[in-house]
Amino acid sequence: MDKLIDDEMLVAQFKSGSQKAFDELMKRYERRIFGYLLRSVRNYEDAEELTLEVFFKAYRALNSWEPKAKFSTWLYTIASNLSIDYHRSKARKPVYMFEDEEVIETKLVATDISSNPEKNLEDKERGRMIREAVDELSSKQKAVFMLTRYEGLQIKEVAKTLGMAEGTVKIHLHRAMKKLQTLLRPLWENNEI
Amino acid sequence: MPKCYRIEAQVIEYVFGELDPSLVSDFESHLTTCNKCTRKVFAYKRVLHYVDEAEGEFIPTPIAPPDLEMKLYRRLAEVPPEKPSPLSQLLNTLTNLFNVFREQKVASICAFAFAVIAVAFFVGNPFNPITRYDGDQSVSADQRIEQYRHQGIQRSMDDVLRNKHLRNSDSWDTVSQLNRVKDQAEGTDWVNIAKKQLKSVRQNSDL
Repeated sequence: MDKLIDDEMLVAQFKSGSQKAFDELMKRYERRIFGYLLRSVRNYEDAEELTLEVFFKAYRALNSWEPKAKFSTWLYTIASNLSIDYHRSKARKPVYMFEDEEVIETKLVATDISSNPEKNLEDKERGRMIREAVDELSSKQKAVFMLTRYEGLQIKEVAKTLGMAEGTVKIHLHRAMKKLQTLLRPLWENNEI
Repeated sequence: MPKCYRIEAQVIEYVFGELDPSLVSDFESHLTTCNKCTRKVFAYKRVLHYVDEAEGEFIPTPIAPPDLEMKLYRRLAEVPPEKPSPLSQLLNTLTNLFNVFREQKVASICAFAFAVIAVAFFVGNPFNPITRYDGDQSVSADQRIEQYRHQGIQRSMDDVLRNKHLRNSDSWDTVSQLNRVKDQAEGTDWVNIAKKQLKSVRQNSDL
């Protein structure tokens, strides 16, 4: 299918009965949505299940969807709501299971034979601590931070996605940065980074 | 030098590359003179650098979950579409109606005015509703009549006693008045009171 066809056109094609149009939309966004949810929930299986849920909901609701915002914004809205519900239902800090990260890494990382294993382990540990600091953010702060930083959404798009005013998004972003700065300060004060 | 509290909000936008391009050069020139903002920008950039590194390590390349398409269609086949409940249908209708009103403002104002006029015409004046008695509705009409009767007897008895005091020695009028009250009070406790008063008047006049 022509990549130049915009999302709204594909939605229109889907509404007129084309299943392939939905497949194309899914291909376009499955990586981004999965990546967003994986960062949000830090668990491969849960992120996979939530991604499936996002597209399931999108498929069922697409016929009544009105393009008031971008299709991607709508998908991120569904994903954000599911992620917030997920954290609410879990009501606990994401648990870092070594197996989880190993699963992800075996799927994602090409083995670097020349690297230093000791340094790798240190880097891994430091990365884990930083991600734990990110997970300390409130669900809204984290959603705003992730959408802005890693999904390439502008502040106004984040505002639409999360149903907030732009000013509120900026406040969440500001608080997120301040909190991260506070949480990560011990790391660079101890010259760990 | 611009005040920092005005610029402070721009630090985040600048660090995230969201600052209006027309403000960037102003902000950057501010940074050359303001240590506080410069430190903040540096600190935030450092935070982002390390978080980016950690997140990049977590997901180095974007991936998609395997067989997502197949799983989705399997799930769609398993889970039948939800039938909208009457409540959600009603809400949808109301939402659509609201959207029409929001988009067609003049038409909606006219429709609202027409509705008010129609209500006024067919139902009654909505701005001057009929005033209703808000008293205790549990008291029946008979009870209220009886209550008024007791009040009337009491007033008569008060008159008799006041006149008795004024007349002093003339008992004849008092006796006749008390007899009228006794008749009026038939079936109530006031009869006994009237009888006692009559007895007392007669005893006084005998003396």
